[in-house]
Amino acid sequence: KMARGMRGRGMSRGIGGRPPYKVKMFLPRHPFDLALCEMSFPRVKPAPDETVFTQALLKRNADLSPTPAEQTAILNLVTKIQTVLDNLVVAPGNFDACQLDEVRQVGSFKKGTMVAGHNVADIVVILKTLPTREAVEALGNKVKEDLKNLMKNEIVAKGEQLTHTTNERGIEISNAFACVRVMVTTLHHNIRKLDPEIHLDQKIMLSHLAAIRHSRWFEENAHHSSIKVLIRLLRDVRNRFEGFEPLTPWMLDLLAHFAIMHNPSRQALPINVAFRRIFQLLSAGLFLPGSAGITDPCEGVSLRIHTAMTLEQQDICCLTAQTLLRVLAHGGYKHILGLEGNSSIAKEMSVWDGVVVSPLDKAYENPPEKKEGEEEDEDMEAEGDESMETQET
Amino acid sequence: MATNNYFGFTHGGTQYSATATGAAYHAVAAPATAAAAATYGTQRPAGYDTAYQAAASQGTYATVGTGATPAYEYGYGQTAAAGYTGGYDQTAAAAAAKPATYATTYTQRTGQQQAQAATAAAKPAQYTGTYQANATGYQATYAQPAVQTTIAAQPTTQAKQANSTTTYSGYDAALYSAATMYVAQQSGGAGQQKTGGWQSYKKGGLGAKNMRAKAPPKPQQLHYCDVCKISCAGPQTYREHLEGQKHKKREAATKMAASVAVTSQNRAGNSLRCQLCDVTCTGNDAYAAHIRGAKHQKVVLLHTKLGKPIPPQEPEVIGGARKSVSSSPKINFVQSGGLGIPTGNGDTVKEEEEETPEPDIQPVGQEYIEEIKSDDGKVISFNCKLCECHFNDPNAKEMHMKGRRHRLQYKKKVNPDLVVDVKPSLRQRKIQEEKLRQAALREEFWARRHYNMPEDEEGIYWEDRRRYEEEYMEMARRGNMGPYLRGRPFPGGAPPYFQGGLPRRTESSDDRHAMARHSEIYPKEEELQAIQRIVSHTERALKNVSDQLAESKPKEGQTPPAGQGSGKPDPNAANKTDTEKSVDQQKEDGRDNQLFSFQQDRDGNRILKGVMRVGHLAKGLLLRGDTNVELVVLCADKPTLTLLKKVVELLPAALKQVAPEYIYTVTINAAEAGLTVTGDGLTVLVQFTSPIMREQEATNGGLDRDVLSRGKCLQALAALRHTKWFQARALGLHSCVVIIRILRDLCQRVPTWSPLNSWAMELLAEKVISSVPGQVQLSPGDALRRVMEAVASGLLLPGGPGLGDPCEKDSPDAAAALSPQQREDLTCSAQYALRLIAYRQIYKVLGMDPLPAPQKVFRRDRSARKRRRSGGEPEVSESDTGKMVKTEGGEAPAETPVK
Repeated sequence: KMARGMRGRGMSRGIGGRPPYKVKMFLPRHPFDLALCEMSFPRVKPAPDETVFTQALLKRNADLSPTPAEQTAILNLVTKIQTVLDNLVVAPGNFDACQLDEVRQVGSFKKGTMVAGHNVADIVVILKTLPTREAVEALGNKVKEDLKNLMKNEIVAKGEQLTHTTNERGIEISNAFACVRVMVTTLHHNIRKLDPEIHLDQKIMLSHLAAIRHSRWFEENAHHSSIKVLIRLLRDVRNRFEGFEPLTPWMLDLLAHFAIMHNPSRQALPINVAFRRIFQLLSAGLFLPGSAGITDPCEGVSLRIHTAMTLEQQDICCLTAQTLLRVLAHGGYKHILGLEGNSSIAKEMSVWDGVVVSPLDKAYENPPEKKEGEEEDEDMEAEGDESMETQET
Repeated sequence: MATNNYFGFTHGGTQYSATATGAAYHAVAAPATAAAAATYGTQRPAGYDTAYQAAASQGTYATVGTGATPAYEYGYGQTAAAGYTGGYDQTAAAAAAKPATYATTYTQRTGQQQAQAATAAAKPAQYTGTYQANATGYQATYAQPAVQTTIAAQPTTQAKQANSTTTYSGYDAALYSAATMYVAQQSGGAGQQKTGGWQSYKKGGLGAKNMRAKAPPKPQQLHYCDVCKISCAGPQTYREHLEGQKHKKREAATKMAASVAVTSQNRAGNSLRCQLCDVTCTGNDAYAAHIRGAKHQKVVLLHTKLGKPIPPQEPEVIGGARKSVSSSPKINFVQSGGLGIPTGNGDTVKEEEEETPEPDIQPVGQEYIEEIKSDDGKVISFNCKLCECHFNDPNAKEMHMKGRRHRLQYKKKVNPDLVVDVKPSLRQRKIQEEKLRQAALREEFWARRHYNMPEDEEGIYWEDRRRYEEEYMEMARRGNMGPYLRGRPFPGGAPPYFQGGLPRRTESSDDRHAMARHSEIYPKEEELQAIQRIVSHTERALKNVSDQLAESKPKEGQTPPAGQGSGKPDPNAANKTDTEKSVDQQKEDGRDNQLFSFQQDRDGNRILKGVMRVGHLAKGLLLRGDTNVELVVLCADKPTLTLLKKVVELLPAALKQVAPEYIYTVTINAAEAGLTVTGDGLTVLVQFTSPIMREQEATNGGLDRDVLSRGKCLQALAALRHTKWFQARALGLHSCVVIIRILRDLCQRVPTWSPLNSWAMELLAEKVISSVPGQVQLSPGDALRRVMEAVASGLLLPGGPGLGDPCEKDSPDAAAALSPQQREDLTCSAQYALRLIAYRQIYKVLGMDPLPAPQKVFRRDRSARKRRRSGGEPEVSESDTGKMVKTEGGEAPAETPVK
């Protein structure tokens, strides 16, 4: 016992002896992922026929894709607003409440992962000036005014009247068919000058900047159609199952990309395999404490995306996926896709072909009152992590 | 430009736009003297008037003045002498215009000024000397005032007049020194700051202008103190005033200001000064406000009443040498700026231009000014949200919006790109200087270092660099490091499997729990010894029996030696050569677990060829409380019931022979195709099999009644293979055996897991643990978690890949026997277990009490960094949590989710 204590001390001193680099002893591990170790698990029985399942997935995707009419409505609005904002960048004229640096489309509309019925497009405006509430207000008014000018020759049909609102993220302009969110942020070096009293929230500003990076990353890495289809399906699943609520659109993007592309061959996996793999990964605890999860490719430091969820959310997300995985294995894909039944399968016992599938309990316990000096284990670090997720959809 | 200039002139220099005048002036200066003269000529009347009036008033003043009015007089003298330049043209013209002299004087004065700069002390003489040249004209106009002023004891005036008029008497030393100082300053100012001069030039114009403003002399009932800008009722009060504290103070301040002026030159010159009141305002608006103000009005009134010169409303722009001017008390004091004219050349002008103060500042941040309205909707006051201040006056609001403070706030809070002049405070400047000084020191230091010890330097460089990187990382960690984004092409791409070579991670809480549980389930030493003993005895007894059988049937054995060799699984060459006893001993003691061959070199034909340990015993998977172990005896031919009976018959005696002190019972177990040896509460199952049993099935389907159950024999053969496989694959795998033991325990404890047969479980664990990408060794805690992850991810669910059995042909699913419901339940249980592990409740999975946190000493050492090791369960919770755990953890905790 003594010897062990000594060794421990010696080791820690050894580590402490390299001061400039804090050796982070916590090395999160990647969870078991069947797709990466198929060598060890050769299929010993023929894979079940999944054509019906695949068709169901594709059908669901078709249902979820926005109709051409919806696309047009939103595109019209986006184009107009983009025009107005571009003008403000190029020729601000006497508009001096803020200076626009850049206008970019982000989010699901831009990425092509929009889900029907959720006709929201996002535009991020980067200000050179600091985003005071007044500036945003003024920008909102300016945009409103300019839009009015732009559309003065149009015959505005009923339902196409625009409503403008301002919120803590920026401006929202919507008509009966579409909504465009103009999300305001500021240049990166201005971020730390933000004062919560005067300016928009710093975290929101950062998330808007992140949104730009995300859409850029997406363009470069996730253009594969399967990924987009999978994202759309996942968004729908997320909306229907409560436990997946904390998954942000960005997490879904990365998860879908991971599930499709992250395999030894680096070739896109078929949609049915990838869809199941999502549940397998989540069930294996990809997004649990202690897991390496998915590193955010848009942050300079390695940031595991799931740490944006609270520990409890991680638990619930995982258990929901675990239950659904079993339902899926017993042939319940129609319920998962929302083609049949409802979302109660995630929470209630169900019977599939004679097999009883039971829901799971939470493993997370509210931590007991921390004693003074009690440190947070790295397992519990998640709560403190800065959430970098965005609200763009 | 020229027009501007002249326009300005006619208006008494009201509108000197700096640039224009400067340029114009120089254009005119040297070559076009005549033209200049002409222009001056036209202006002369005005200039003349002023000059005259100035003189007159001076005169008046002088008469009134008691000997002790130094300042005013002094100033006047200055005007006439040093400051003359500015007003010179006019005066000259007024005085009777001697264009010729003008030019000469001009140059002379230039030289003279410079000389002046050289020596302050020598100056008066020189000055007058040069001055003589135009003295005539000058004297003509100024004779009277000059004479009159003699009353006052003014140094400069005196100096001048000492030459021109000689009427001069004692001035006190103090005043003289003050004057010299002043002169010195001025010349200094002129010498070192030609740029400033230009403004002074304008000033000169103003000075002239001032003179004009003078009203015709009035009866001088008012006694005016110029320093304090007040009038006194009578000579008496005036004198008293002059004696008074207040006046003295002010006078001192004035002088001080004069001396300080040089330092204040450094200020960016955009403040404005009201010459009348000697008030410095920080901007146009402030100046305007001052002009509108009551105080200023009062002084103007007084001055008007007095007929004193009222300086134009033009603000005096302060900057550079100007400063010294501004702090001098004189109203119509013509500046050293005059010096700028003569010295002026192209460059100066440029510089002057740049100094031009105060481009019109646009008010900013209108949006942030809140209008506060009274009940009837009238705007009563304003609130600036940026600066958190209020104003009642719209003008004040305007001024505020242009003001420095507001702009700074605007810069800080709204537009970081807004340009706001830096006005370093004294402190800031000091800091700045200090920084520079240190930078210089550092540079020097590095320079020296570089020369002296380049290697060392390098070391330091890297050290520095590392520190920098660390800081950078730290910054990056806090997020918002826009420019440093490193887009990764793949999320989690090059996934963070930490490839080998990394230091092995220290023991985590999970590891500690896993190991603690492992040591709980691992058999005790005495148990192991007991098992070892009975097995060893059985093996040796079997060898004896084999020997006996071999001796009794020598014939049979001689024929098929070759066939035996092939059929034998793995005769150990090393063991064969050894003598029986030693081989036996060595094997039993070690973890050899290989075939214990009964054969010796000479006899190739035995019926019982060898015995081998199989199952948990051979794999080292025995758990505490295990009482059953297995051996397999390989036979040369199909094992028959007859053979079995024979062995059962012979074995007790052999056992007695091998271990006389122990009592063993031997019973036949035909159902298992073998026999059992029991004793000491332990049971050894000895199965009989032969490799021939496999081959036979195809060729010889006939059932021999006597042959032992074929299925059992095949099982026994499989057990042999499994043992071989296990020894080859799992034993070498880090953490694997530990985890399999733990899983075995789990399968025994938790009903949900019991359907998973031991072999499938072993396969599962081995595959899962060995399939870690990068061949990383997992710690026990991680290995257990990974197994749970695998099952949780649906590995065993219907539709999963299955567990290929490497020991069978066509690798069938080792877990094929599991029903869908069992698979479902297993998966469900593993899913819950996985989350329990993730949430630091591994002890529930292991069926144990939570361990207390690691010892304090241990922890303090590592408290500096983030610990992987937690001991997450604090001692506090031991009382209550522990209890709960006991109940819950006692009875199959992992089973909770199942139903």
